[in-house]
Amino acid sequence: MPDNDNTNFKVKKDHGRGDICFSVARVPDSGRCYFGSSDGGVYDIDLASDKPGAKRCEGDGHSSYVTGTALTAKHIVTGAWDRHLAWWDRETGKLIRRQQAHTKWLRGVEASPDGKLIASVADDMVCRVWNAETGKLVKELAGHKTKTPTDYPSMLFCACFSPDGKLLATGDKVGHVIIWDTKSWKPVKALDAPGHYTWDPKQRRHSIGGLRSLRFSPDGKTLFTGGIGKIGNIDHLGAPTRLEAFDWAQGKSLKVLNGSDKFKGLVEHMIFHPEGKWLVAGGGDHGGWLIFVDPMAMKIVREVKAPMHIHEFALNETADTLYAVGHNKLARWELEP
Amino acid sequence: MGTMGAVGLLGTSGAVNALAEGGLNRALKSSNKRVILLWLAGGASQLETWDPKPGAPTGGPFAAIPTDVPGTHISELMPRMAKRMNHSCLVRSLNTRDGGHGGGAQLMMRGRKDEPNLKYPDLGAVLAKELGRMDSQVPDYVNFYTSTEGRGSAKVSPGFLGARFGAINLHDGAKLTLPDIRKLESITQGDHEARANLREFLSRRFEQGRELASLKSHAAAYARVHGLMSCEKLFDVSGESQSVKDLYGPTQFAQQAMMARRMIEAGVPFVRVSRAWWDSHGQNFETHQELVPELDRVLAALIDDLKQRGMLEDVLIVTMAEFGRTPKINGSLGRDHFATAWSASLHGSGIKSGAVFGKTDAKGERVVEDEIGAGEFFATILEAAGIDHRKEYHLGSRPIPLVNPGIKPITKVLA
Repeated sequence: MPDNDNTNFKVKKDHGRGDICFSVARVPDSGRCYFGSSDGGVYDIDLASDKPGAKRCEGDGHSSYVTGTALTAKHIVTGAWDRHLAWWDRETGKLIRRQQAHTKWLRGVEASPDGKLIASVADDMVCRVWNAETGKLVKELAGHKTKTPTDYPSMLFCACFSPDGKLLATGDKVGHVIIWDTKSWKPVKALDAPGHYTWDPKQRRHSIGGLRSLRFSPDGKTLFTGGIGKIGNIDHLGAPTRLEAFDWAQGKSLKVLNGSDKFKGLVEHMIFHPEGKWLVAGGGDHGGWLIFVDPMAMKIVREVKAPMHIHEFALNETADTLYAVGHNKLARWELEP
Repeated sequence: MGTMGAVGLLGTSGAVNALAEGGLNRALKSSNKRVILLWLAGGASQLETWDPKPGAPTGGPFAAIPTDVPGTHISELMPRMAKRMNHSCLVRSLNTRDGGHGGGAQLMMRGRKDEPNLKYPDLGAVLAKELGRMDSQVPDYVNFYTSTEGRGSAKVSPGFLGARFGAINLHDGAKLTLPDIRKLESITQGDHEARANLREFLSRRFEQGRELASLKSHAAAYARVHGLMSCEKLFDVSGESQSVKDLYGPTQFAQQAMMARRMIEAGVPFVRVSRAWWDSHGQNFETHQELVPELDRVLAALIDDLKQRGMLEDVLIVTMAEFGRTPKINGSLGRDHFATAWSASLHGSGIKSGAVFGKTDAKGERVVEDEIGAGEFFATILEAAGIDHRKEYHLGSRPIPLVNPGIKPITKVLA
């Protein structure tokens, strides 16, 4: 990474809350964000302001943790553990549609780069693709196993579109990734990143971890997977954070990157610098952090503590302000010289 | 399995004690009782099982579902048990005041803490003494604990009752059978039986004209060991029908629960099946997403299997742990140790079906109705198994009650 590609982000303002904030989407060219909460609410807030007031969107959209938030031209689309997707009017902040999307707990919502499609993933182990405006089902993508190798329920945690929108990747608990062609909706590649999953067969006899985030590089050639490394004591998130880079077309693992000892826990979300200068990952254990990766050198170049476990974040167009939501807090980070 | 006659009771040590106290009805009541304890080692979350609080800030993401008992809701992770609450009762008001694994386990297994110079017997040892048969050819107390975490802090103990009522511990998940029960390979079956016959012949001749209790005890001990040596088949589930295997499921916990049913059917009075490890300081919801459906399936399978065999009227199933989990959700989306307001459950024999005892507040942070401690729950299990909780043992001349003075069972959940 060139020396002048600064990653010196600092927390400029954080806001304490009683709830857990799981998902966020930013309105373009602003610090205005919509975020999903553990109280089932979807909130409208201007995080560019030092004294923002969060306004709850109107309507009974969700009855459980809101784990996915995405923006389309007219709507905010949210998904929750209550298995439902909800459409909210961006102008009025009112609920306009609510529909059951999955038969089990919904883990994430992603909008396609052109904003025309919404992908939702859930623990029924299918990814469903929806028309972003009408809410009609476009395609159901089934291919992830419903059970882990030890016959426990698996979980489908994450999905992401490639920057050109031609691919959609989905990732599950045991580290299996499927890459789908968004024209034919056929799987074009499958990858495995089992290093993100720990099954303890002897001491505790259950599992922890899983693939929690996916991100294509701006050129679409590299796919990063995010989660946590192998854990000795699975009572806690006590293992180094883990990222793995794949040349997905070749099905080849390029590099595994682990955070240092003071940066443990899950990689919950990743975003690339618009020009691909760096990748930033956010997550945590009891606490939180941001980790910056030089994708050319394939190495971690900076780790920085966050005021909370980060569940998701958004980056502005100029890549100098970052809006993060997480455990009992929201935070605005700004790039300093 | 029908109720044993009074003649059969004479061979039951617990029944002899009860008859001596004039409790014939109670002896009849307890004559064929058996108990299976599903020990949820590490501490299962009451909020993700028996006492859900959906919508509360502490409630977590899972919904509550209605059950076949009107007005009673449990976690959506337990759909099978939601259809079997008419064979169950819930205790939602445990405040056991000990949030340590070792202390909590000892408290729940013994109903009280040991005294400096007195080790109390645990639940299994008391039930082995009260429900076991002197001439039994099966063990009285079997303890499955095959995961390693927490095994040391949840040790079973016969206390002052001594090793006769101690557990047979099964720790090796890959080789589940009684330890050291196989005859030596160097001895043929014929020689083995001939030796037993010779020993019996010599013993009988020696006993002629002698009326010593120790001689009878000696003979009973040999008969018991001989019986135990033929118990290996209890651990072999290959003969179970596929439909029964499917009922329980393929996991290790399921296999051990099926073995527990086989043992109970063969006359073992108490089996503890420990499912470790529930200690979800991180990722509580994913952990419970794995473990609660397994518990739901296994518990429902036990109820159905016992019912289908006509045994549910005689067998009590208990689920409990050393404590519950905090309503507060930590930064790792975990829940920590919490002994202040948590739940346990009783199923099958001796209970008032569908009863729910106790209540916690809207966030599950404290008990607001019918608070009880470990002693009351221990006494309730004894009574549900047909044992008078007021009974006393004697250590020399010192009377030792089964539960501490003043402790009473929860009569509202007893049949």
